[in-house]
This record gives sequence, structure tokens and C-alpha cells, in this order.
Amino acid sequence: MNLEVRDVVKNFGGLQALNHVSLSIDKPEIVGLIGPNGAGKTTLTNIIDGVYKPTEGEVWLNNERVDKMPPYQIARRGLGRTFQVTRAFRRMTVMENMLVPALALHPGANRREVEQKAYEVLEFLTVEHLANELGRGLSGGQQKLLELGRLLMLDPQFIILDEPFAGVHPKLQEAIYSYINKAHSDGKAIILISHDMDSIFTLSERLVVLHFGAVIADGDPAKVKDDSAVIEAYLGKDEEEDEDA
Amino acid sequence: MKRSPVIWVLIIGGIAITLALPLILRDKQYWLFVATQAYFWAILASSWALLAGYAGQFSFAHIALMAIAAYFSGIVGRDLGWSPLSGIIIGTLVAGLVGLIIGLLCLRLRKTYLALFTIAFAEIVRLAINAELDFTGGPMGLYLEPLIQTTSYVPYYYLILGLLLGSLAFMYALANSRFGLFFRSIREDEEAAAAMGVNVVRYKIMAFVVTAMIAGLAGAVDHHFIGFIAPSELIIGRMSLVIAMAVIGGIESLIGATLGAIFIHFSLEWLQQIPIPAALMPRIVEFKPALENLGFALTERAIQTNAWRMVGFGILLMVTLRFWQNGLIYPIIQRLTRQEAQAETVAKRQPAPVEETAAQERSEE
Repeated sequence: MNLEVRDVVKNFGGLQALNHVSLSIDKPEIVGLIGPNGAGKTTLTNIIDGVYKPTEGEVWLNNERVDKMPPYQIARRGLGRTFQVTRAFRRMTVMENMLVPALALHPGANRREVEQKAYEVLEFLTVEHLANELGRGLSGGQQKLLELGRLLMLDPQFIILDEPFAGVHPKLQEAIYSYINKAHSDGKAIILISHDMDSIFTLSERLVVLHFGAVIADGDPAKVKDDSAVIEAYLGKDEEEDEDA
Repeated sequence: MKRSPVIWVLIIGGIAITLALPLILRDKQYWLFVATQAYFWAILASSWALLAGYAGQFSFAHIALMAIAAYFSGIVGRDLGWSPLSGIIIGTLVAGLVGLIIGLLCLRLRKTYLALFTIAFAEIVRLAINAELDFTGGPMGLYLEPLIQTTSYVPYYYLILGLLLGSLAFMYALANSRFGLFFRSIREDEEAAAAMGVNVVRYKIMAFVVTAMIAGLAGAVDHHFIGFIAPSELIIGRMSLVIAMAVIGGIESLIGATLGAIFIHFSLEWLQQIPIPAALMPRIVEFKPALENLGFALTERAIQTNAWRMVGFGILLMVTLRFWQNGLIYPIIQRLTRQEAQAETVAKRQPAPVEETAAQERSEE
């Protein structure tokens, strides 16, 4: 398995959101991706997932260049993501939400078997009682779990979780923790974006820090934590760049 | 979803009545004609519901696509001597092709812009047909050969009823397959659907092409029955009528839109004039000048409400959109069908962990 972001630049008009970013993941690990607001975390996610095309540079997934592909093809090649703001299909039931990725990936699958699997996934996420509720009837935290459930149905090798803990009740947070740990032990690579430093340092085996669209640190979390550039980025002088790319 | 026995009784009863209608209306040929046209509108409204309600593509081009097929069929019949049947086939294919082009052009357009784009398209088609005298007959219209040589309405009644039931069965199968699921996921959130591996482009275009062909087929067949088509059929008001039928019936339900269309088409016919009992007539006559000033003509036994009936439906449409977004008919169908399904859901529920469930209550859909 490998995911490689090679020297990617992304410009929005005159704004440079990513400045020669490179990142390589070739084993099942949990990679924390942090950085101040506007550092380019979500832009990088959107580049990897195919929503944005890079201005320069390439993205490779399992030895195949994917940066020119539409998002659905990248998804089918083993990359799944959640969104910073949850995007459950609101006027579809939880079960229907779960069926979409499974049937998109395996058009010939037996519907009953897929439903059975979806039900097991919902059980694992402790929300099986909501199977017949509409997406819009769920709380914010439950919607986050539903997004994770859809990811499990897609069953990608690489998972990008964008702020999975934001606004989530502690009880549901536990379910998300166990989700991440299970995915990890199942051999998935996870990119975890979060402002919740406790979770990042608890879960991550590797930490990547973005600042002004550039990678300023990449490595063992304990070491990165003491890196002077990182400390400066978070605590240092430029406090005013509080805008999201 | 399991269906309760009530709904089966209604379905079988409904089909039995529609099949027997030519017998029931033996002496009322006019109403048989009205019923045939109601089915034609039902095909338009239900296929539009599939496009707009399921796939979320709020297109105003549906009537134009219907008319393109009818015109094409009529023109190849007149100029090339093609039979009505081959004309209908080619007209349907052309409608599908135009649907494909619209779908491609509108891929990146969000809802409002799609609506504006298709309104412009429909108006261009109408104006072009209106302007092109030699080819389309311009405002004088175009005559079409009859598909079936008969003076009776009965064969056409069954033909268009068959078309309605056939297209409904096809669309129902489509909506309940994985394609229907993908349509709805695209309606809800294109980007999230793509991230889940759904080929958004393919399914959007599929929705456009399939519904364009259904509208085109219905348009071509129906106009070989009517024998005539004119550009005045393409006015935006006719498209609005299709939308009103689907919305009042239930935009996310094929059967709701179908019943909405039948209900509205019959109502519009009935409401052309309101019969007045003879006893009341002298009192009404007193108000004759006032009524006539308002646009109601008075005949011996009825008030002519021709000009005002659309106003009533406009208001009904607005009220429906404001208060019952799932339509007026679909919720009733759901009430009849959901009882068992709900019981099943409750049985599956295990004691839930306590958490902040925002709204357990299942409202509509």
C-alpha cells in the first residue's frame, strides 16, 4: 500500500494554499495532520480525494497516478474520507446511507447480505437502533458516526478523518476512538485531522504539521512536539492568520 | 418495505376501475377522452418526479422534450413518409439525445441555474418551432397521422393506459434499484456521493436521458392520437402544470405524482363550469352582472369558471409547497403502507444507549 503526495502546489487565484507539499504513507499507521487554521489541511485532503486538482505536483495511490481522476474513481481505488462538516444524506434513512457506498463499489452485491453487513457495522458503532431513521433526524455526533459507518462499507485502505471529534458527545467519542483503533488493527492507514491535541497525541504514531501551506515537521509525535518551528507556528508571533483556506 | 393489505385492495381496485372505465363511460366519450389525457399528463408528471424528486434535477425542459419527440415524429411522417410507429421510435430517441445534451451541459449547474437554463432552453424550442413555418408549421401547428385507424377513443385509452402502467413499472423498478439510491444520494449531496464512489456524472445523465425518453414517448404517442400539435403547448404554463401535478401529488413519489396528475386533470375539466341546482339559479342570476365583471360567464345551468380555475390551482400549489412539501396525496399513501413497516422497525429496536438523539420522531418521507 502506498499513498504519495509529490511536491503539490495549490493556488486559489493569488492565494497559495499549498506550497510544495510532499507526504508519503506506505504502511498502516495513524498519521496526525495538524496546523493552525488556514494552514492547508482541508485543501490537502481535497487534493488527495480528487475534489481539487493540484496546480503543480502529483498524487499517487498504490502506484497509480490519481490526481487527474474524479473523486468517485479515487474512492473506488481505496481512499475514503469524512468531511469537516458532516454530510449525511439527510432525506435518506441511515440504512440507505450505508448501502450507497457498498452498492457503488459492488454493483452486483446481494442487497440482503449488504444490509446484514451494514447492520453489523451500525451495531459496532452503537447506533443500530437508528437504522430506519432519516439522516436529518440524527444528532451531530450520530451523523459523524454514520459517516464512519459509510466509510466502513466503502472499506478503503486509506482513511482521512477530518475533525472527527468536533462537537461530539464524550460517549460517542469513545465509539469513534474504537473505530479508529479497529481500522488501524485491520491494516488501514489513517490520516487524522483534528484540533483536539489530546486525541492527536493519544492516537497518532506519526505527526505531520502544516503551516502556511508547507510541511514544517513530519515524524515521531514526541519529537515533533518539541520542534522549535512547530512551537513557533502554534505559540509564536503570527497569531493573526486565522482564516480557513 | 412490506405493504399492508389495504394498499393491495386499493391497487387492485384502482386497476380494475381503470380497465373497466371504457365500459363505465360508454355514453360519455368526452370523459373517456379526458381520462386518456389524464394518463398522458400522469406519465409526464411521474417521469418529472423521478428527475426532480429523486435525482434532484429541477428541470423545466420536460414539456419541450415531450414536444420535440412529437414534432419529430410528425415531421418524418409528413416529409419522409415514415409510419407513425417508426416516427414515435425516432422521436423518442431524439428526445433522449436532447436529454443527454441538456444533462451534459447542466452537469456543473446548481439547482437555481439548472432551472434557469432549462427555462431558457424550453423557450428557445418554443420560439424556434413558432418561427420555422416550413418545417414545423409555425404557429399554425402540425398535423400528425393517427397511430391506430379508428374513430373510437377506446383503443387509445388502453394504449396510453398501458404506456402509463408500463412506464410506472419501469420507473418503480429503477427507483427501487441501486440506481434510485444513487439518484437520491446525488440529490442530497453530490460531493459526498462521489466520495462514496458514486459516479455522479453517469447517474445524473442517466436520469435526464431516461426521463426525457419517457416524456418523448408519451408525447409522440399522444399527439398521434390527438392528431395535432402547436407551439402553444410549449408555453411555460404547461410545464408549471406538470410541476404542480407532481408537487401536489408528492414529488418524491411516482405514484403520488401519477395520482396528482389524474386528480388535477379531471378537476380542471370539472371546474370549467360549476353546475348549479335549478332551485338556486334565480338567486344567482341576480348577481349576473357582478359575476360577469369578474370573468364568470353564466349559462342556464352552470357558472363558467374557465378563466379562474388556474388561479385556484396556483394557490393550491403555493399552499402545498408552504405547508406540505411531501404533497397532499403521497402522505395518504404512506399512511396506508407504512403501518407494517413501522411495526417491524420497532421490533428491531433494542434498548438504546442514552444519548442526545435530536429527533427520534420520524416525520415525513
